[in-house]
Amino acid sequence: MSPTVRQGLLIAVGGLALVGVVTTLARRRMISIRYAFGWLAIALLTIVAAAAASLVNPIARTFDMTGTAVFLAGATAILVAIAIQLSISVSGLQNQLRDLSEAHALLAERVEQLERRSELV
Amino acid sequence: MKVLVVMPARNEAASIAPVVADLFERGYEVVVVDDASTDETGERARRAGAVVLPMPVSFGIGGALRCGFRYAVEHGYDTVIQVDADGQHRPEDIAALLDAQQATGAHLVIGSRFAPGAGSYTVHGTRRMAMRLLSRLASRAAGTMLTDATSGLRAISEPLLSEFARSYTVHYMDSFEALIVAGRGRYTIAEVPVTMLERTSGRSSASPLAALAFLGRGFLVATARLGFPIRPASETVR
Repeated sequence: MSPTVRQGLLIAVGGLALVGVVTTLARRRMISIRYAFGWLAIALLTIVAAAAASLVNPIARTFDMTGTAVFLAGATAILVAIAIQLSISVSGLQNQLRDLSEAHALLAERVEQLERRSELV
Repeated sequence: MKVLVVMPARNEAASIAPVVADLFERGYEVVVVDDASTDETGERARRAGAVVLPMPVSFGIGGALRCGFRYAVEHGYDTVIQVDADGQHRPEDIAALLDAQQATGAHLVIGSRFAPGAGSYTVHGTRRMAMRLLSRLASRAAGTMLTDATSGLRAISEPLLSEFARSYTVHYMDSFEALIVAGRGRYTIAEVPVTMLERTSGRSSASPLAALAFLGRGFLVATARLGFPIRPASETVR
């Protein structure tokens, strides 16, 4: 078995493990379906990449890299893209939470004033 | 001029009641934005005469301030005086801020600890160096000489107040960012000397390392235009 095939098998096992972990987390409602689909797409991509591991060698030769380095570079690029997307999501959620907190504080004060007035009446 | 004192506070139960009571006795309307305190800050402020806005989640001083600005705009106030809850700001300096606002028409008046005529306030080492550099950056953006870019004692008037109520930074060192943003928007900025008192309780969170981090962030805000967005004075000042 060539090193490329062995690497491909290892990557495929990683992809399958990701499918298992994501499915479990989604069933336990620990991640939303939206994010579960995203991670399952990544897992699928990983398995496809593993099946096409031999195609990596020509790309590696073009850039004077090893096949492993090409896989690592690809994986890193995908992880960075995911991290940036999650940062955007978290920033948006933080803004929404801030708006909600302010609305809560302003409404709580209004309720307090109304309760005081009704006690006076 | 309808004036509101806005006081962001987080776990200031030990000091807030006399600070609020003093302002209340001088005739100021006071709103305390309770930044998700885990002590009795809100309750003590309310008993001392303040309106309390209880934030359920802490967003730091910038987050608390925007809530106070929103309250002011919604209730028709045209000037907000920002005062710290730890008792370091003297209530009598508020009159100086308002006088300067009336005399100059400035949208933002800073209570400076370092302007000529200010009381003695000593800061050493990297913190002082960082404060000087930030003041230079703020002066450049404001188009006027400013000596204290991180002061927490300020008067903010319309139409800048409405802009801050709509969009205001959530990050620490909000006062510097607000100066840069207001200066770039061509709002008028002035400063008056004030006296800073010793803290009546708690202690400052600023460390030399934190000062360097603030300086780096401040430099980015000033040079890379990372400040929060507001409309320029040309679109809001009538």
